[in-house]
Amino acid sequence: MGEARADSRTAAAIVVEEATKVIDGVTVLDRVSFTAHPGRVTAFMGPNGAGKTTTLRVILGIDHLTSGRATIGGRPFSEHPRPMEIAGALLTPDAAHPRRTARGHLRVLAASNGLPGASVDDALDLAGIAGIADLPVGQMSLGMRQRLGLATALIGDPAVLILDEPHNGLDAGAIRWLRVILRTLADGGRTVLLSSHLMAEIEQFCDDVVVIDEGRVRMAGPLGHFVGGPSRSLEQRYFDMVEGP
Amino acid sequence: MTAALRAEVLKIVTVRGQVIGAALATLALPLVSLLVATTGGVGSGDTVTSGAATGAIAGLLAFGVWAATLAAGEYAQQTIVVSLTAVPRRSVFYGAKVAAISGVAAVGAVISAMAAWLMVWAVLPAGAHDLGDPAALIGVVAAVAAVTVIGVAVGLMTRSPAASASILVAAVLFPNASGGLLGGLERWVVGASPGTVITQVVGGAQLADNRMFPGGAGAALLTMLMVATAVALAGAVTFFRRDG
Repeated sequence: MGEARADSRTAAAIVVEEATKVIDGVTVLDRVSFTAHPGRVTAFMGPNGAGKTTTLRVILGIDHLTSGRATIGGRPFSEHPRPMEIAGALLTPDAAHPRRTARGHLRVLAASNGLPGASVDDALDLAGIAGIADLPVGQMSLGMRQRLGLATALIGDPAVLILDEPHNGLDAGAIRWLRVILRTLADGGRTVLLSSHLMAEIEQFCDDVVVIDEGRVRMAGPLGHFVGGPSRSLEQRYFDMVEGP
Repeated sequence: MTAALRAEVLKIVTVRGQVIGAALATLALPLVSLLVATTGGVGSGDTVTSGAATGAIAGLLAFGVWAATLAAGEYAQQTIVVSLTAVPRRSVFYGAKVAAISGVAAVGAVISAMAAWLMVWAVLPAGAHDLGDPAALIGVVAAVAAVTVIGVAVGLMTRSPAASASILVAAVLFPNASGGLLGGLERWVVGASPGTVITQVVGGAQLADNRMFPGGAGAALLTMLMVATAVALAGAVTFFRRDG
C-alpha cells in the first residue's frame, strides 16, 4: 500500500456556523456549529438520521442551508477554483459508474480539475487498488469500491478530507491502513473530518469529536475532554449523550 | 470550463455502452436513408441530398435518446455527487455537459450525414436525380445538436433515463403527428420541428406547403435553435434551483 504524500497543501479548516436546514417543514439541522482544524482528525458521530451526512453534503455544497454558513479555508467549497485540491470527499462507495473502470473514473476526475495524469496512478497506488484498476466498478466488492472512493478523495492531494463512513466494507487490514494514512495526512497538516460508528476505532486515532443528534450538536471538542477515567469510555459517554444516562 | 468539458467527454468515452450508443446513433440516419433509397422511397422531385436526409428522424431520435439517458444517468448511476464535488460550480458543470454531449453528437451527425449522402448517391440510378447541395446537410448537424441539447436539459430536469427518453421521443415525433390538431399554428410548430427543419433545409420534395415554416428554411432553423436554447435555459434554471 502506498504512503501518504508529502506535505504541500495550505492548511484549511472546516468551519460550520449556525447551520440550519429545513426540509418540508422538518428541521434536519438546527444551528449546527463546529470547526474541524488542520492537523487534526475530527470524528463526526451520531445515530442514523442525526444529520451527519446532511452536514457533510452541506460543507461540500451538494446540499444548501436554509440559514448559516459552511466554509473550507474561509470560503464556500464551490468558490475554490481547483476544488479537488482543497477538499477530497467520500460520501458513498457507489458514486462511480458501474461500467467504468476504476482508472477511467479517476481519469475523469483528474481531467475535471486539470490534475496531471500521474495523479491517477498515484491515487490507485495509495488506495491499494492499482492491481484492479482496469476492472469495471460494478464488478468490485464493497471494500474495493470503498477504496476507490478513498482514491477519489485523495486524487487531488487535498488540504481537507471529508469521509462519510469510510470504514464500511473494509476488512481489518484495510481499517488499519486507513487509520495510518489518515493519521499521517493529519500529522502533515491536513484537516480530516470523518463520520463513523466505530467508536473503538475513533478512540484510537481521532483528536476531536463532534456528536450530533436530532440535528443538534451535543458536544464538540478534543477527544481527551470527552473521555477519561476507567468508566468513561467514548462509547459510554456517547450513549449517555444520545440516549441519556 | 475547458477541464470540465474534457472530463465530460471522458465520461462518454470511458464507458463502452455510451460509445456504442453514439456509434449506433451515427449509423441510424445513413442506414434508414439507404433503406428508403433502395426501396424506391426517394421521390422523383428529390435530390441525392434530400434523399440522404430521409432517415433524419431516426438519427434525431437516436442521438436525442442517447443524450437524454446520458445526462439523466448521472442521477440513475448516483455519480452526480462525485461529479458535483469535482465541479461544484453548477454553471460550469451544466455548460460542460451540454457542450460535450451535443458536441460529440454533432461530430457524429457530420459523419452520419456524409455517409448517408454517399450511400444514397451510390444506390440511386445514375443521372436520375440532381445532386442537390450537400452543404445543406448542415441542417442535419444543427438539428441533431438542437435535439441533443434538449435531451441533456430534459435528462437533468427529470433525473430519469426512461422519462427523459420518452419526453425526447415525444418532442421529436409529436409536432409531425399532431399537425392537424394545431390549426393555424401548424406551420409554426411543425415547420420549426427538427425533422421538418431538415427537410426544408435540404429542399425535400415531400413536404406539404402547410408544414413549411413562414419565412423559409433559414427562419425555421433559427427558430429551432432558439427553442433548443430556451429548453436549455429552462433546464439550467431547474438544475440550479434544485441542485444548486
